[in-house]
Amino acid sequence: MDLAFTPEEQAFREEIRAWVKGNLPEDLSHKVHNALRLTRDDMQRWAKILGKKGWLGHGWAKEFGGPGWTAVQKHLFEEECALAGAPRVVPFGPVMVAPVIMAFGNKEQQERFLPGIASGEVWWSQGYSEPGSGSDLASVKCKAEREGDHFIVNGQKTWTTLGQYGEWIFCLVRTSTEGKPQTGISFLLIDMKTPGVTVRPIKLLDGECEVNEVWFDNVKVPANNLIGEENKGWTYAKHLLSHERTNIADVNRAKRELERLKRLAKTEGVWDDARFRDQIALLEVDIVALEMLVLRVLSAEKSGKNSLDIAGLLKIKGSEIQQRYSELMMLAAGPFAMPFIEEAMEAGWQGNYPGGVTANAPLASTFFNMRKTTIYGGSNEVQRNIVAQTVLG
Amino acid sequence: MDFDFSDDQEQLRDACAKWVEKGYSFERRRATVAAGGFDRKAYNEMAELGLTGLYVPEDLGGMGMGPVEGMVTLQELGRGIVIEPLTQALIAGAVLAGYAPDAVKADWCGKVASGEALVVLAHTERGLRYRTDSCKASATQNGESWALTGDKNVVPVGDQADAFLVPAMANGKMAMFLVERSAKGVSANGYGTQDGGRAAEVSLKDAPATLVTLDGQTALEHAIDIGIAATCAEAVGVMDQTLAITVDYMNTRKQFGVVISSFQALRHRVADMKMQLELARSMSYYASLKLNAPTNERRAAMARAKVQLGNSMRLVAKDAVQLHGGIGVTDEYIVSHYFKKLTQMEIAFGDTMHHLGEVSSRMQDTAGVFA
Repeated sequence: MDLAFTPEEQAFREEIRAWVKGNLPEDLSHKVHNALRLTRDDMQRWAKILGKKGWLGHGWAKEFGGPGWTAVQKHLFEEECALAGAPRVVPFGPVMVAPVIMAFGNKEQQERFLPGIASGEVWWSQGYSEPGSGSDLASVKCKAEREGDHFIVNGQKTWTTLGQYGEWIFCLVRTSTEGKPQTGISFLLIDMKTPGVTVRPIKLLDGECEVNEVWFDNVKVPANNLIGEENKGWTYAKHLLSHERTNIADVNRAKRELERLKRLAKTEGVWDDARFRDQIALLEVDIVALEMLVLRVLSAEKSGKNSLDIAGLLKIKGSEIQQRYSELMMLAAGPFAMPFIEEAMEAGWQGNYPGGVTANAPLASTFFNMRKTTIYGGSNEVQRNIVAQTVLG
Repeated sequence: MDFDFSDDQEQLRDACAKWVEKGYSFERRRATVAAGGFDRKAYNEMAELGLTGLYVPEDLGGMGMGPVEGMVTLQELGRGIVIEPLTQALIAGAVLAGYAPDAVKADWCGKVASGEALVVLAHTERGLRYRTDSCKASATQNGESWALTGDKNVVPVGDQADAFLVPAMANGKMAMFLVERSAKGVSANGYGTQDGGRAAEVSLKDAPATLVTLDGQTALEHAIDIGIAATCAEAVGVMDQTLAITVDYMNTRKQFGVVISSFQALRHRVADMKMQLELARSMSYYASLKLNAPTNERRAAMARAKVQLGNSMRLVAKDAVQLHGGIGVTDEYIVSHYFKKLTQMEIAFGDTMHHLGEVSSRMQDTAGVFA
């Protein structure tokens, strides 16, 4: 047993740190460190910088052009990026659809889609949830009917994150109503520029349009966009969910945000208030405990011993922590988190924020935005069902 | 970064688990509680396994092992809610070996390791709460010899221990001494504790004492940190077993015609228990792996660990009883004894609120590299 990373792992961390320092544009890290609004261009710019280095698909195996890193190396890379204030990699392409294409797509599909994902050129979206299918994902109704060498897709997807920027979307579509709901689902890649695809942004409680509704009205999709076999999509989706298990905890970002919380608490004069400071201390303990949990998973992956089936725990704890730090930041600002001035959340705004500290401008917005974390990716109640299943049978 | 156990550590775990399973039945424990809360025979059995000498160096008659071995051991003892305080042997072994003059080490370390001498930490005093920088007990020097006067409270198995590690003020600074229970001027009044164990009020009146170290604060803080890491490990074992007992019960007990494990309201509580258990296990690893870190880093780590463990113990203990329903609050059924053990362990070596204060006052600007 050893808590320290090996000298090789340390050296790897140093290498990543130096590279990120030299390549992460300062205007981007400034925005991330201060929770200012990121544009499509901001996110794309960082994705392409990583893509050029071959690290956008940093979890990819060498045979697909990835760096072939170990689980620990991936973790260290993500940590260094997060602590440096890099924008989060939009996961739908490199983290979510790419592994499915690698595992279940054919060679032609791999050659066609993977390069655009690896370089950051093509923006992918996820078409899973539907108005009637949230936690009960197996009940998807969006229909794809085979007509010769095409599928005709009709239906609706929703909560499509950043779908307004999407160029391609991977969808779970209903191709059969026979048997169990899970056995009639297929995994289909759809070009969002195809006639019949309509995207409508949904304005959320924070005033932002982070998610969208996507409609398919007789959308003609070539049959060779089907991944794997028809009606096996549920299996592929489950493979995707089991991928990148520690990612969901987002502990690296939590560490960065804890630093920001402490800065805010000092500026706002609550750092010396024992009641407030104890709450920060409690959050710090939570984050250390979550990190130890993540490291245990990584250690198990490294050695193949003591394997841990605790993805549900990581999701629950990670999401609760995200909500808590955003809440404490807002409470640190107190009354100065009340003014909701949208322009003040843009980098370079020169106006006067009430109370004088522009850093407080996005706090309420972030707190609102974080409501999603215990709902998406399988709500925390669904996660508790999964955890209970492993304990109680 | 590696959380696998070595083959030797696994063997130690197996040996401990075997003793708990075969040698430390619930009936035996119950009889011990009824007889006052301490069984020297059981303590000696642990000594025969080498457990009392885990932290005593080999050249002083011990096993010369480290915090991970301590953790592995305490986890298994926790599973069986073993009442005899092995943690005290770990503290005594490490403190004497680490701080005492050579002659004192030569006299005592071997006896601690063999189980011949049960030496316990006697540091709690009324009004001090969890302070480690001073106390009311005082020491006076007369030539080479020392004499101690003062009262120490809630001393683990204080009326049956052979000697005490006692912090006392010497010339305005806290020092650490060793006092034999049989010495003149020492009295100990024993009583039961809430977990079924035993403690005593120890009174010292000009009691002859052996100096362990003049830097009593450093030694005491180290002793307490060894106690925290051991308690964290023990708590993980207790919680592991508490959850297992609860799961068994829920999969057997029927209400409304079905096993109660089928009710979602109850299943979610089990998920929460599992969460707390795994966070606790993670922080128990953290505590053990930080026990040999430089003092400030070690102290901060122990405080963090004890906060997590305290919160976990409270939730697991309360939910286990609640999920059992009426049977959970009976003395006859085993789960209430796990509940009481967890309750007392949250208080031992500083409760959750105290350690939260420690974490709070030690917080750095940055998140730092935690691991």
